Amino acid sequence: MAASMNDPILVGPPVRRNILGSLIGIAAIIAVGIIGYYLFPNNLALLTRIIAIAFLVLSVDLVTGYCGVATLGHAALFGAGAYAAGIASAHYGISDPLLMTVVGALAGALAGLVSGLIILRAHGLPQLVLSIAVIHLFHEAANKASSWTGGSDGLSGISPTALLGMFEFDLWGRTSYVYGLVLLLVVFILLQVLVRSPFGMLARGVREDPVRISAMGASVQSVLLRMYVISGVVAGIGGALNAISTQVVGLDSLSFTLSAESLVMLVLGGTGSLYGALIGTVVFMWFEDVVSAANPFHWLTMVGALLIAVVLFAPKGLYGTAAAFAERMRGRRA
Amino acid sequence: MKKLITATIAAVVLSSAAYADTIKVGVVGPFSGPFALQGKNFKAGIDAYFALNGNTVGDDTIEVIYRDVPQADPAQSKALAQELVVKEGVQYLAGFYFTPDAMAATPILEQGNVPMVVMNAATSAIVTKSPYVVRTSFTTWQTSTPIAKVAKDAGVNKVISIVSDYGPGVDAENAFKAAFEKEGGEVVEAIRMPLSTNDFSPIMQRVKDSGAEAVFAFLPSGPTTLGFVKAFNQNGLKDGGIKLFAPGDLTQESDLPALGDSALGMQTTFHYAVSHDSPENTAFVEAARKAIGNPAELSFPAVGAFDGMYVITKMIEATGGEQDAAKAVDAVKGLSWTSPRGPVTIDPESRHITQNIYLREVTKAEDGSYFNKEIQTFENQGDPGLAAAK
Amino acid sequence: MQTVFSIAVDALAYGMVLFVISIGLSVTMGLMRVVNLAHGAFAMIGGYIASYAARDLGVGYAAAVLLAVVGTVLIAIPIERFLYRRIYGAPELTQVLMTIGITFCVIGIANFVFGPTLKTIPLPETLQGSVDLGFRSIATHRIFAIACGLVVAGGLWFLIERTAFGIKIRASVDNASMAAALGVRTEIVYAVSFAVAIGLAAFGGVVGAELLPVEPYYALRYMVTFLVVVSVGGAGSILGALLACLLLGAIDTTGRYLAPEYGEFFFYLAVIIIVILFPRGLAGRFK
Repeated sequence: MAASMNDPILVGPPVRRNILGSLIGIAAIIAVGIIGYYLFPNNLALLTRIIAIAFLVLSVDLVTGYCGVATLGHAALFGAGAYAAGIASAHYGISDPLLMTVVGALAGALAGLVSGLIILRAHGLPQLVLSIAVIHLFHEAANKASSWTGGSDGLSGISPTALLGMFEFDLWGRTSYVYGLVLLLVVFILLQVLVRSPFGMLARGVREDPVRISAMGASVQSVLLRMYVISGVVAGIGGALNAISTQVVGLDSLSFTLSAESLVMLVLGGTGSLYGALIGTVVFMWFEDVVSAANPFHWLTMVGALLIAVVLFAPKGLYGTAAAFAERMRGRRA
Repeated sequence: MKKLITATIAAVVLSSAAYADTIKVGVVGPFSGPFALQGKNFKAGIDAYFALNGNTVGDDTIEVIYRDVPQADPAQSKALAQELVVKEGVQYLAGFYFTPDAMAATPILEQGNVPMVVMNAATSAIVTKSPYVVRTSFTTWQTSTPIAKVAKDAGVNKVISIVSDYGPGVDAENAFKAAFEKEGGEVVEAIRMPLSTNDFSPIMQRVKDSGAEAVFAFLPSGPTTLGFVKAFNQNGLKDGGIKLFAPGDLTQESDLPALGDSALGMQTTFHYAVSHDSPENTAFVEAARKAIGNPAELSFPAVGAFDGMYVITKMIEATGGEQDAAKAVDAVKGLSWTSPRGPVTIDPESRHITQNIYLREVTKAEDGSYFNKEIQTFENQGDPGLAAAK
Repeated sequence: MQTVFSIAVDALAYGMVLFVISIGLSVTMGLMRVVNLAHGAFAMIGGYIASYAARDLGVGYAAAVLLAVVGTVLIAIPIERFLYRRIYGAPELTQVLMTIGITFCVIGIANFVFGPTLKTIPLPETLQGSVDLGFRSIATHRIFAIACGLVVAGGLWFLIERTAFGIKIRASVDNASMAAALGVRTEIVYAVSFAVAIGLAAFGGVVGAELLPVEPYYALRYMVTFLVVVSVGGAGSILGALLACLLLGAIDTTGRYLAPEYGEFFFYLAVIIIVILFPRGLAGRFK
């Protein structure tokens, strides 16, 4: 399971173009965010949910795309963040949205550490199975601790106060959308820095050739574990955002289904690139929303057909294939 | 009074005679995924209502918008409910198969000035979450309580309770235990098993070892009930004289063809049987079977949806099509009518439906099909769950 | 003591049913190196065909099983030709995406064609009812499933270890290009292995239908279980899969007897421990 879909995209290009590239990318995210706000002012709940899931998919990308760790249990990190933020508000009265986000990030990091310690004990298929076992254990634990988590009825009673004391979380969801978008931008920029840093390079090296990395004297295990904790922070923020915006947390946020979906979204967009993660999330969730609204009864077939089509026609994922195509065009011109 | 209403309606009609409104109702339910059958029943119930009563109230036309939440997913349910209210401009939210999905959407109601008509979700507490919630289905407490008396009357004193380990399962266990102990019986053991359980043989071994005379069981409708009932028979419990009592989720009509002979003679208590003998039900079943396509798929969520639509039309009548959640809900408090399931009332206190609960036995019809035959009626049952929670 | 025996019998029966359903996946994953998440979908198709044949066409049980296996393989041929061939040797994540896509489509189509209700496959007289073992009774059908499991295990072992075709499979798995260079038509070998795997899936779907009833969501509902069993055993190993099924069956059954409310914990903790102790599977031959 070590190999991933699109190795060559981000390898090589000169640093300056990278920085320019990320500026363009960030501008694009802001532009899409603003367009979304004005184009779908009545649908911000969905857009906020897409942003929350985007954190999860970015987080999966960090371990799967950059480090080659196969996981079908990443929702554990997302759910931990969501439940921690929710419990902080519902049971401890910590209802400031910024504080809730911090709590979520910390819980995500902790969950990342725990699941990383387990999942990193194997490779390939057995690793996948470990991750499945982890997500089921988390799910069962949350189901059992129903006095804390509300069990299968879901955790309700989450009531975040106004953001910065000024912006209420209302029915139209403007506040949570803008808050989510800003959070996403900040995290995205930090992650851009991270993946270009020496540590990010080391992580990519681990994916390419772990034996060589350990021969160089670096500890593969510790690199992976650190990355897992970081990805826990990212996923935890997403979970907290989800808890804040929907004011409810359900067992589905710790489910195998969500884990598998997030992996599917990542592969759909293209692994090993932060843009791929974002594009995959937006395309998958938007597509799902449109077809399930158009035909609530038989939309699953359409989603399946989309996935098959992507494998057939864009085998490196949507972003990966587009990037490779652009690279080829540029090569031809030069 | 009637005159007054007519006059009001006339006034409304005259004042807005130029245009007739379309009133949108947003229905959230599981229309795909593992519970697609139940969602299909929602739609069948609603379609049946329109087929029998038309989709207009006065000058207003009702339009139903469906949104899919395949499995219990409160965040998704809330996002969709929000979208329905804000984007689609629905005046009523309805449906909701799972408790967490209904609970998650309740905070929207007051802000959006929208009543919610719960057509299935069966945890007692939902109605307490918002004054705008009305429920036309049942609660697990409501359907699980009478079976305790049935068990005691059958001469059973020691029962082992087996439920799926999630909200409704725990509700069923508590409801049965409370009622059975009140009757003077004893629950010797209470087992909660994971929802994903598919091999029930070890559980049946537990039953044998417990020395109980009967089993009380609750599992969600669907594939697992088949495994459970078969395991009960094949491990020699049925032949060993151990009785099986359950609320009707275990023998919903759409599962009966699959259960076949192994369910024969099983006694369950529930609020609705497709076989219920009344002119209202005959008309309903005919219309609903036509709507669902395959007659064998018709099951209890359809009647919740059918009555839900009735309640919504009453609300629309009362408000004259204006968006006024408080007025709409007030109008149906204490409302009584004859549902396909029998006489029902919306309890003005809890806004939950008061109804008859029937004891039914799985019986083979002359044409070889199976049905739940009503053999005893517990009249006017409220929801004991709310009282127990206090 | 009686209870212990009784649990042991349950565990054996459950484990063997798991084995019959999962072994086809072990073939695709171990021999063909395809993470075939659509395995459950093919098992489900088998179940639907058998149910349709037995209930609506009224053919006998044996004929229904045969029809299910042949029918599912026939349905799978174009899918293999146009979809699976594109992902042989592709990265695992691509395979995951493709096979999940196929699964979604199959679920949607099954829901549309057969409706969302449970479908059963009527058993012949001889398999109905229970057999008295002296200290307890057990469903006759379970004994039939155990027998099927043993026959399948033996047959597969013979096919892979003792026949010329088995040699070709093993050669293609170990080194496809070398095998091709030596004149093994790997494409045909793959196609035949795929057909065998699909046939086993369909067979398992039918035989296991008493335990895992056929309905549209079958394809996803049990996918995790299949995947876990095969990986714990070591993909591609028949003995490993058998051991894994028996072991996990025993743990699951015992856990469910002793503390049903913690059933999931037992099972998945056991999985974690086994995988960490045997990172290549109980009898991982390949990889």
